[in-house]
Amino acid sequence: MEFWKDETEPIKAFLALFENAKKDPELSEGLKKVNQLIWFDYSEDGPNCSFHVDCRNGEIKVGVGKPEDQPDLTMSLSADDAHRSWSNKLNPVMAITRKKIRVKGSATGLLKLAPKLKRVASIYGDTLREMGWENKIIA
Amino acid sequence: MKGYSGRFLKVDLTSGSTSFYEPDHDYYQRFVGGAGLAARIFLEHGDFEALPLAPEALLIFSLGPFAGLHLSGASRFSAAARSPLTGHWADSSCGGNFAPELRYAGFDGIIVSGAADSPSILIIKDLEAKIESCPELWGQGVESTTSILKERFGQSFKILAIGPAGENLVKFSCIMNDGHSAFGRTGLGAVMGSKKLKAIVLKASKKTFDVQDPENCKRLVSDLNNRTKESVTLGVMRENGTAANLEGGVHLGDVPIRNFTSNFWEEMAEALTGSTLSETFLVRRANCAFCNVACKRIVQIDDGPYAISRGPGPEYETIAAFGSLLGSKDLAATCKAGRVCNDLGMDTISCGSTIAWAIEAFEKGDLGLTDTEDLTLTWGEMTTVIDLIPLIAHRKGKLGRLLAEGSVSAAKRTGGDSASYTVHAKGLEAPMHDPRGGGHGLALTYAISHRGACHVFSPMLFMEMGACYYPEIGFDLELEPMSSDNKPEAAVVAVALGALENSACMCQFADREITIPEWVELFNCVAGMNWNIEDMMKTGRRIFYLQRLVNHGFGVCAKDDAVSSRLLAPATDGAPEGIEINFEEMKRRFYELMDLDPISGMPSAQVILDHDLATETAGVMGDLPCRGQEFFDQALSRSD
Ligand code: SF4
Repeated sequence: MEFWKDETEPIKAFLALFENAKKDPELSEGLKKVNQLIWFDYSEDGPNCSFHVDCRNGEIKVGVGKPEDQPDLTMSLSADDAHRSWSNKLNPVMAITRKKIRVKGSATGLLKLAPKLKRVASIYGDTLREMGWENKIIA
Repeated sequence: MKGYSGRFLKVDLTSGSTSFYEPDHDYYQRFVGGAGLAARIFLEHGDFEALPLAPEALLIFSLGPFAGLHLSGASRFSAAARSPLTGHWADSSCGGNFAPELRYAGFDGIIVSGAADSPSILIIKDLEAKIESCPELWGQGVESTTSILKERFGQSFKILAIGPAGENLVKFSCIMNDGHSAFGRTGLGAVMGSKKLKAIVLKASKKTFDVQDPENCKRLVSDLNNRTKESVTLGVMRENGTAANLEGGVHLGDVPIRNFTSNFWEEMAEALTGSTLSETFLVRRANCAFCNVACKRIVQIDDGPYAISRGPGPEYETIAAFGSLLGSKDLAATCKAGRVCNDLGMDTISCGSTIAWAIEAFEKGDLGLTDTEDLTLTWGEMTTVIDLIPLIAHRKGKLGRLLAEGSVSAAKRTGGDSASYTVHAKGLEAPMHDPRGGGHGLALTYAISHRGACHVFSPMLFMEMGACYYPEIGFDLELEPMSSDNKPEAAVVAVALGALENSACMCQFADREITIPEWVELFNCVAGMNWNIEDMMKTGRRIFYLQRLVNHGFGVCAKDDAVSSRLLAPATDGAPEGIEINFEEMKRRFYELMDLDPISGMPSAQVILDHDLATETAGVMGDLPCRGQEFFDQALSRSD
């Protein structure tokens, strides 16, 4: 991995990102509109390298690993590409076309989030700073 | 020769006769079908001096080799003619269900010439064809024409029909298939109307055709259909239609607002996007024959000023052309406007764009109340717009007559500064993708397109989006939409692929899942082309050059490869705000890469030899001068 020391680091960063996103009114509204259970699967970088976001029923819950319920959408990619993606440095359409991101299920909800990627990136930058991981921020 | 029927139906409406025409086998191999083959047939049978709406003008319907396969995206076909809107060569593509039926009937296309004395229909049953008079249908909308004909001949007959707009020679009138799919662009409905041909009625008894290698073809079709079914991006389109990503497009600055004067309007984004249509007025999803993408919409609006019965709903272009482009975020109004345009038989892109031009002209004082006969034109005032559409189709009143000419001619007649805010390339109004946000390469491909500003002339839109990856032909570039970097190089690939797509008549949505080796395999196992990748790409380039040659016969030169200044002016808001498009440099480099002459715009002698186009070139070039804009003006005014 280019950005992470081990498989626990990315999950820590991404869970913190979503905890911060929940506090942001614009993003939390955007996430609620997605209205899906999403599994972000980075297990190609380690068996425990994954987390899920449940934004169904007007709530946003974040947890480590694969969700108990069947996910509406599974996105499988490397933890490095996930880092690029949350930093808004990875064109999601291009990444899907080139099979860097493999998607299972309906991506319709995710399209609602696409216009908010800039906002996500800015919160992600703040999150990494809070965690003392400025060095991981992609310029 | 497998795949093809090897036969076109020739119809002379002046004499009322029909006959068969068998193109040289070599034409199929060199120009594939669809738009490419139509251009070659024009060179053999057409007359450069014939005005677009004159009886001598040809209207050519042409299938690709895959029409009739049970393959997603393969049921499109091309119509081509000299356009009454632009004055030069044009073609348009239509989905629906007509193309497979025509192949099963035993034809690769129909060549229509002459003009009937009275309104007529062409009836094709297998290899038999006849022309019948139909005065009772003249003046009917597309919906009623289609249902009357189905009632008379049978529900399984496939119908191509024009509406009152085509009859009245509105310059952007279209030809509709079964009331839902359209040859939308470049005014081919008026060409059909000038020939007094109201409709074509078609039925084939058998539902099969022969392919070169049935076993491999079956396997490949099944693989590709499975892929389109499972594709994430196409799944999004199935769910929410072609407007699925309208909201994302607004944030990129791709969706035009108020006649391309703005690139961002947040509240409109969610109001008009595909998922909102699904949640509000969608009652069913629909598809072209054999396509499992099913991006078409069936909608119903029960009440309010824009109530419409269950029927065809708007796709992305219509939603933007009758929404954001006119300063409206009323989704119901876009559904109504689309339905009215379909029934009257008008292209929603050019119609919305011409109205957008008129609103701006009124705002700026170039059009006054005398010109509009007391109609006040205001951004977002959709009841006025919807009342205006039939006036255009019927050429009623001063304003209806003016706008029926399209925005470019209307601006010429209006004068003042009004030409400066027409938005087009080569006289064809721009589609609903603003190159400033959608991608600078689009400005280049709008300009170099033979038919004018068109987003399906090539897959550049998808390339800039990141939806294309063709390492086998050297296209592995990661393009940045809002930059001119690598766009000429991408355009070289795009024009060849676009020519192949439009000649094979494949849908540019559904065919995104086909890899380059699979394209080659499809051509080989269906039509026995016996190609490798380079043969196929060379054929794409040959068709691109051929279409330029034909346009040159109409006087089109390098300087016509341009777009309106509005599309190049730095955006004033949204994501592309302040960014310049380096258009001239992109064009210069593209010309260099394609070896095009900077004055005539024609390919060099070496290119002509390399692409086996000597005969075609001799038939066109001669000593033709660059006849330029004056020539078009003259041609267009004589075609009124
Ligand atoms: S993707 Fe849509 S437009 Fe294309 S062939 Fe399928 S249904 Fe028709």
